[in-house]
Parts: sequence; structure tokens; C-alpha cells
Amino acid sequence: MTGVNPRAIYTIAKKEFLDNIRNKWIIVLTIIFIILTIASSYLAGGQAGGGEMFGGMEETVVSLISISAMLIPLIAIMLGFSTIAGEAERGALSVVLSYPIRRGEVLLGKFLGLGSVLAVTPLIGFGLGGIVIAATVGAEEGLAYMAFIALAIILGLMYLSLVIFISALCKSRMRAIAGGVILFFWAMIYGVIIMGVFIATGGSYQELMSPTGMANLPDWFWASVVLSPNDTNQMAIMQAFGLEHSLLQNSNLSIKIKFSLLIFHLIIGKIERTQ
Amino acid sequence: MITKTIMCPHCKNKITIQGNPGEKTYVTCPKCNTKGVFTFPEEKSELKTTTTSFTIEVDGLTKIYKDVTAVNDLSFNIRTGEIFGLLGPNGAGKTTTIKAILSLIHANSGEIKINGFNIKKEGIEAKKNVGYLPERVAFYDNLTPLQTLHFFCELKGADKSVAKPLIKEVGLEDAINRKVGTFSKGMVQLLGVAQVMIGNPSVYILDEPMGGLDARWVKIIREKIKMLNEQGATVLFSSHILTEVENLCDRVAIIDKGKLIAEDTVSNLNKYLRIKPRLEISIPGLNGKVPKVIKSLEGVEAVDAKDDTLFVTCESSVRSRVITTLEEAGLKIAGIKTIEPSLEEAFVKLISEKRGDA
Repeated sequence: MTGVNPRAIYTIAKKEFLDNIRNKWIIVLTIIFIILTIASSYLAGGQAGGGEMFGGMEETVVSLISISAMLIPLIAIMLGFSTIAGEAERGALSVVLSYPIRRGEVLLGKFLGLGSVLAVTPLIGFGLGGIVIAATVGAEEGLAYMAFIALAIILGLMYLSLVIFISALCKSRMRAIAGGVILFFWAMIYGVIIMGVFIATGGSYQELMSPTGMANLPDWFWASVVLSPNDTNQMAIMQAFGLEHSLLQNSNLSIKIKFSLLIFHLIIGKIERTQ
Repeated sequence: MITKTIMCPHCKNKITIQGNPGEKTYVTCPKCNTKGVFTFPEEKSELKTTTTSFTIEVDGLTKIYKDVTAVNDLSFNIRTGEIFGLLGPNGAGKTTTIKAILSLIHANSGEIKINGFNIKKEGIEAKKNVGYLPERVAFYDNLTPLQTLHFFCELKGADKSVAKPLIKEVGLEDAINRKVGTFSKGMVQLLGVAQVMIGNPSVYILDEPMGGLDARWVKIIREKIKMLNEQGATVLFSSHILTEVENLCDRVAIIDKGKLIAEDTVSNLNKYLRIKPRLEISIPGLNGKVPKVIKSLEGVEAVDAKDDTLFVTCESSVRSRVITTLEEAGLKIAGIKTIEPSLEEAFVKLISEKRGDA
């Protein structure tokens, strides 16, 4: 590929942003995120202090991890599943590709445009929630909280690249929806599958459950995290808050894994739709 | 010495050249370096520019889907400045051919050039001056027509100021701030027509542009195609209806089952395709006898009778004369049905006559 045209990529990205930012689900989910952040803070505070109070940023994030790990892939799948398959089916993609533009540019533009829509939800949702916490409890661990938001966006981008890839492989919108659902379930049940494999290959429950046993877990168990954006995300957030303790020997591992995974997905996603 | 201004088929730049009648000149566009050949007309009368260059070249195109050969070793050339009709019944491979020309699908084999640029190796250059309208089109539900056209202007590197006049030209100005998602199918098609004209392409590739539109719109689109062609554009469009192509195309290619059956001027093909409508006239008491008055009537090509039905093959202009002649002969007509010839019938005739010639 010689001479990639940044203008064409920007044009596609802008179109995707304008077209999708008006999706009413994006607005609904942003509001849900704000409510969830404040509720989590309240709940976490109650758990930690025993009374009725708001929790700090660290406690809030601990209880937000799992909910964001579920909602963010959902947003990515919702935004991306029909972006190639749907447009191909309806004929809009043919028109775009009849213009002087490369397929890779269309794909990258879509990723960037949808990615910026996707970033809006955690940015505003968690951001406003964070401001509320900062105002009521204090801005302790504020930087780590910002890292949490950034990591949430990166998690979304990873899912987005995967789901655009699926959309490009599927010939129809219906198949792309099925692909998106499978991806979502994969994200949800991956940990269970890996644990199952661990037990089946002679591992014991004690090793999995006790902190001392965890240190003895085989390398492949940690390496398998590469295949799950959710788990890599969780580890990266823990690192941001300095909570790595016995979980990871190499403190930079998960961040590295995360970025390599992101690039890996992008490369796969760029494979041109042939048919 | 003749002085002539010609238009570069690639960038539409106007070039003034001088030469003697009948002289062949090699022209290089000073703007985009496109090379072409121009022959000065012998006499001063006919001034239609005729360059010998081809705008679209299709050579040995084959596309196979799993177990179906959609297009089979198809070759044809479209001359610069002509309206070219790609004709064939449904499922003949017209859309596949058009998509392969634009490299929207990957052909199994074959070479395609637009404006001299290889679509695979020089895709960006090849598509620079092309306007394409697919058979069915949908745009983006949450954008307004203005935003949609602005997007396509940016993609083509055209000035955004053309968007508004184009929307007016297709009659969508009342809906200019509505979301395209609320549009009817016809309105979306009109937006597609506006889209195809962005940046004044020198090549138009239209897939069934008149398919599914009512008579009024068919007329408007025909006129639009003519107008664009008069401005110097080359037009390729596909159709499965013979009458859409007549009086509009300079040349047509007829394909069936992915193979080229004929490529010729319309007037030449008309000789083969001149199939007249057939009248089925029911006359009680006819008993399979053909009335003599009809046999000798001018304009009647064939007559046949079975039981109480008389079959008359003739031009539709002769229809009323057939009926009055029958009535004058004292026959009572109980009912008349007109069977229009189908394109498939025309193909059968064409194929059989071509075989007869060989």
C-alpha cells in the first residue's frame, strides 16, 4: 500500500461519528454509566466504612470493573456489528468503494469514527461520575481513575476491532448479529473455560482459590489471558491502582499484552473483505 | 487548418488543438498527462468528437461463485463518449459484470481498464472520474441528504457547494434537513442519482437505473442520461427491458448466462430483435379458419388460427386496422388480448438467427 490517504480516512471517520453519535442507545448508555458510577461509589463506601457514605475512587473502580467489562463490549458490538455486513447488504458500501478510496482506508476510518463514538460513553459517564466522587469524597487516586477510563476506552476499541472484523467476514447483517452475540458470550464465559481446562489438565481448586496457590499457576494460564480482552483489561486496571500483588510477576506484562492484542486485532481487521 | 477544442476524457480539461481535415493527432492532456488520439473530421459538417480511445475495456472477465459461473470469459469495449447498454435477462450476470468493472468484487480472471487505468493495479486513478449507481441503494439513516452528499463530495475531493444544487436538481429540496432514514425508497433512489453526479464524472456506470421506477421517472432518467452524454460523458448502464435501451444507446452488449451473445449498434440488433406483438382475437364460430382478408393485409407478419381464436402477429400500429377489417368482413369479435414480446423471446430469436447465419 503506497500513499495512504489520511483525508479519506478522516472523511469516513467523520461520517461514522455523525451517523452513530445520534444513536439513542449511546445517550441512554451514557446516562446509565453516570448512575452506575455514583451508585457504585455509594455501595463501595457502605461496604468499606460500614455506614452511609460515598466511597473513594479506588473502591468505586473495584466495583465498576465487572459492570464496565460487560457494558463496554456491548456498546462496541452494538456499534460495529453491521458496519460492514449491513452496509454491504444495503448497497451503501458499494457506492463508497466506487470512489477513489482503498478498502483499508474505509476500514481504518470506520474504526476511528466508531471508536470516537465509543469513547464518548465512558468518557462522559465515568468522567461525570468521577467529578461527583472528587467533589464529595476527594480526588485521591485521581490519576489512576483517569487511567481506568482510558483503559475502558481501550477495552472498547479492542472489542470494536474484533467486531468490525466479524462484520467484514459475515455476508449478511443477520450473521454479523450472530457473530456479535457469540463474541459477547465468549467474553463472558472465557474465564470459566480456562479454569475448566486448568482443572481438566490436572490442576486443583486450591491452587486457583488461594493466594499462595496462585503464585504456582502455570505460565500458560497467565498467557491465555491474551485471548480475553476483559481479563487483560482487569489486570491493567489493577496495575493502575497498584493492586497487582501476587497476581502478576511481571508488572508490565498485561499492558504489553493489551497493546499487542490491540494491534493484532487491527491487523486482522484490516484483512480485506474478499468475495 | 481546423481549430478544435476537445475535452480530456480523464480530467475533463479543455484542450485546443489544430490540424488538417482527416489528420490524426496524438494529444497529451497538459493537466493530467492522459494520452489520446484525435482524428480531425473530413468535412466541416459533422463536429461530434470521435477519439478512438476506449473508456472502459473488459477483457476475458470470469467470475465464479462457489459452483455457479456468473460471468464467463466476457470481453467488450466501451468507446469514449458513447452510451452503452448492457442488456440481458434477470440473472444473466449484468450486476456481477458491473461490480467487477469497479473492482467491488474480485474477478477470478480478466483485465479491466477504466480511462486506461487498470482497475486492480491503479484503482484509485481508475475510479477518480467515475459515478456509480447500484441497482438498490441505501445510505445512512441518521444523516440528512445534505450531510450524505457532503460526505461523498469529500470522498471525491469535490467542492461541497455542489451538494445543494444537486439536491434541488433531483427534487429533494423539501427534505433537505430530514433524516434519510425517514425517506421512501424512491427518494433514496433520487439521492443516489444526485450522488452519482458529484464532481461531474466523465464515466457513468449505472446498474438498472430505471428498474422499479414509474414511467415519469424513467423518462426523467432517460433525459438525464442523454444530457450527461451530450456534455461529453461516457455512460454504461444495464437493463433487462429492451425498450429502455432503444433510442438511447449507441451500442449494446447482450449477455445471457454470463456469456456475450451479441455486441452491436442498436439499429443492427433491431434487425434481429424486431419481434412484433401478437394479438389473440377470439371469434366465435371461427373453427380454425384464417380469414383471407387478414392474410393479405399490409403490416401483418403472421396469421394462425386454432378453434375460435385467431393469432395475428403485427405492429401495434396495424392493430386497429386488423380489427376493422375483421368487422367489415362480418366477423364478430368476442375479445382481444395483446401479448407483448419478452426480451427472452428476442434472445431466442437472436440466437437462432445467428446460428442460421453461420
